[in-house]
Amino acid sequence: MIKGFAGRVLEVDLEARTAVFRPLDEAIARLYLGGKGYGTRLLYDLTPPGIDPLGPENPLIFATGPLNGSLAPQSNRFAVVCKSPLTGGIGSSACGGSFAFGMKKAGIDVLVVRGRSAGAVRLEIDGDADEVRFLDASDLWGLGTGAAQKALGKGMHHAVIGPGGENLVLYAGIVSDARIAGRCGVGAVMGSKRLKALSIQGTRKLDMEDEAGFKKYTQWVRQVFKGHPVLGEKLRRFGTMGIVNTTNGRNMIPTRNFQEGHHPDAMGLSGEYLEDHGLAGVRSSCLHCPVACGREVEVPGAGRVKGPEYETVGMMGTNLGVTDLEKVSHWNWMADELGLDTISLGVTLGFAMELQERGMLETGLRFGRAEGVAEMIEAIAHRRGLGDDLAQGTRRMSEKYGGKAFAMHVKGLELSAYDPRGSYAQGVEYATTNRGGCHVQGASMYFESTGPLTINPQNLKLKAELPVVQQNLACAVNSMVLCIFTTYGLIPRQVHALKPGGWTHRLARVIFENSGPAYRLIMGSKLLQVTWLDTWLSRITGLRFTPGHLQEIGARIFNLERMYNLREGLTGADDTLPERILREPLFKGMDSGHPLDQLLPRYYRIRGWDSHGVPLPETLRKLKVRT
Amino acid sequence: MTVTLELTYDMAKALGTRALQVEGARTVAEALRAARERFAGREGDFERMAGVAAIAVNGVLVAHRREGVRLADGDLVTFVKTAAGG
Ligand code: SF4
Repeated sequence: MIKGFAGRVLEVDLEARTAVFRPLDEAIARLYLGGKGYGTRLLYDLTPPGIDPLGPENPLIFATGPLNGSLAPQSNRFAVVCKSPLTGGIGSSACGGSFAFGMKKAGIDVLVVRGRSAGAVRLEIDGDADEVRFLDASDLWGLGTGAAQKALGKGMHHAVIGPGGENLVLYAGIVSDARIAGRCGVGAVMGSKRLKALSIQGTRKLDMEDEAGFKKYTQWVRQVFKGHPVLGEKLRRFGTMGIVNTTNGRNMIPTRNFQEGHHPDAMGLSGEYLEDHGLAGVRSSCLHCPVACGREVEVPGAGRVKGPEYETVGMMGTNLGVTDLEKVSHWNWMADELGLDTISLGVTLGFAMELQERGMLETGLRFGRAEGVAEMIEAIAHRRGLGDDLAQGTRRMSEKYGGKAFAMHVKGLELSAYDPRGSYAQGVEYATTNRGGCHVQGASMYFESTGPLTINPQNLKLKAELPVVQQNLACAVNSMVLCIFTTYGLIPRQVHALKPGGWTHRLARVIFENSGPAYRLIMGSKLLQVTWLDTWLSRITGLRFTPGHLQEIGARIFNLERMYNLREGLTGADDTLPERILREPLFKGMDSGHPLDQLLPRYYRIRGWDSHGVPLPETLRKLKVRT
Repeated sequence: MTVTLELTYDMAKALGTRALQVEGARTVAEALRAARERFAGREGDFERMAGVAAIAVNGVLVAHRREGVRLADGDLVTFVKTAAGG
């Protein structure tokens, strides 16, 4: 078995109450690494087309990668893969917490949960004894995610759902510690199986090819991260909320359901404000992460709890026209307890507010007013009254009540908190990402608009190349499974240190902006090297990672996801953006919306797809994607 | 003609205001000059912090320091710092 992998897949059938350990498929691990890539391959192979995402035949796949279980920074994460009930296409989500560490300690790389239990059930997995216990969970059913983990006790690593998942809210997530695999409704799939919780433990040691070399190299990377302006300073100091003032200043923070990109009071939701006002209790992090981008906040009635992330203050703050940090923190805590994705939740609430504003539906929710929001969140999680409709997400709401032009989703997945009219490459990414409108399947906005080398968002240069490279990279990183923030470390500190407006900065920016042809050349010859990611992998696995190898693996995963989506009926026509984004200008002086129609053909060509967005046979052959 | 000039968080904290209304500035350079005058006595602070920020007009970065960029009534001029986030 390749080093770094435990070498085992655990397959559990909740209906038959069986648990079988199988060997990990080495060939798949070589081609797809682990995490999202391995999970997607399994999903493709295990299921026929057209299955019901909430039916017992949809497998829920938890997958780690070769770096999980090591002490590499930002490496204790797991991927969850299944058919998404929200989009009907590939569903994938990633989560920090400690469950991934538990899986590797238990000697399990991948855990496949199939079938549906007759009653509420939880699993206890003892990796040392190779024992899987099916336990009655009716006493836990209905509990919030924090309360459920508390009841399960310390000593094992848990992954649980809240009432949102139990009640099949289509954007329910899976929670481990204080982190959530929020996107694509993976929690609803777990709820459809009547599986409340997974608890895992073990004491196995990760077998590495070159342990001493890996440790030494990791020490060096830790030092790099520590001195890095984003990872070691900004993210560490202000958390992800440190981006609020930037996106607000750039007119990119969703405001009133993406009607605007700026809120005059957004500063009160920023990481800087949180720090200065002593509101950030303590930093919190995923296991073994030196960046510690999380914050804890005081919420009346709940005590000190996990604070909101940038996405949450964007989607449940400015997007609702609300800049009261206490309110947003409270809603964030509720969403975490109920096990709901705050991005999809915030967009759906914003959509409901706009329906109200336009007189299309009496929702009782109004932009800028906090009244009724907490009650609606409860109603959504328990599928009561109008909450039952909101639990279906924005796309289905718009199909029922109208307003498709301002339903802010792609492929059914609600957009995240970066308005793509201020970040064209991000818009291409939203439109083409296989799981739908999401920012962490590439994060072009950082390399394009919010990071240190901000290029002009209103021309077409680099706007198709960047998403391809970023999506491939993210696929590889999500299969290792590392935190996407590691990729931010790829822009060296020296670039961050350039003075805005100085000639070196201008020169660097012009070079970056005009590097499209070079990107295409490099992509074609697979020369794109991602230094420490490759080195880590090589020292753990013993496999040689040649220049461009991670791009190739990422492209393979992306194309397989694409083939899965095509199989499930999603086509190139779904590679689009909400009409509001395409048509309505965001900035004063902007004539129209996002120029996706001009960028998509170029994107398809670079991908090696035909004009309908279907991968060409030679592309699949070259990437060794078997369908 | 009025434009609004929004400061970065650090500037707002040091200079005691988050945004200024500037009358009659027809270019970014004129708006910046007006701001400097407004912070007379604290130009040092203003320059130091403004120097490490980029400038956006209505959300679009104006090639960082194209101070000759023309402004129209109601424009929003913002000092922006790069950031990181998820
Ligand atoms: S940077 Fe933040 S999200 Fe990423 S691993 Fe660290 S604590 Fe978790």
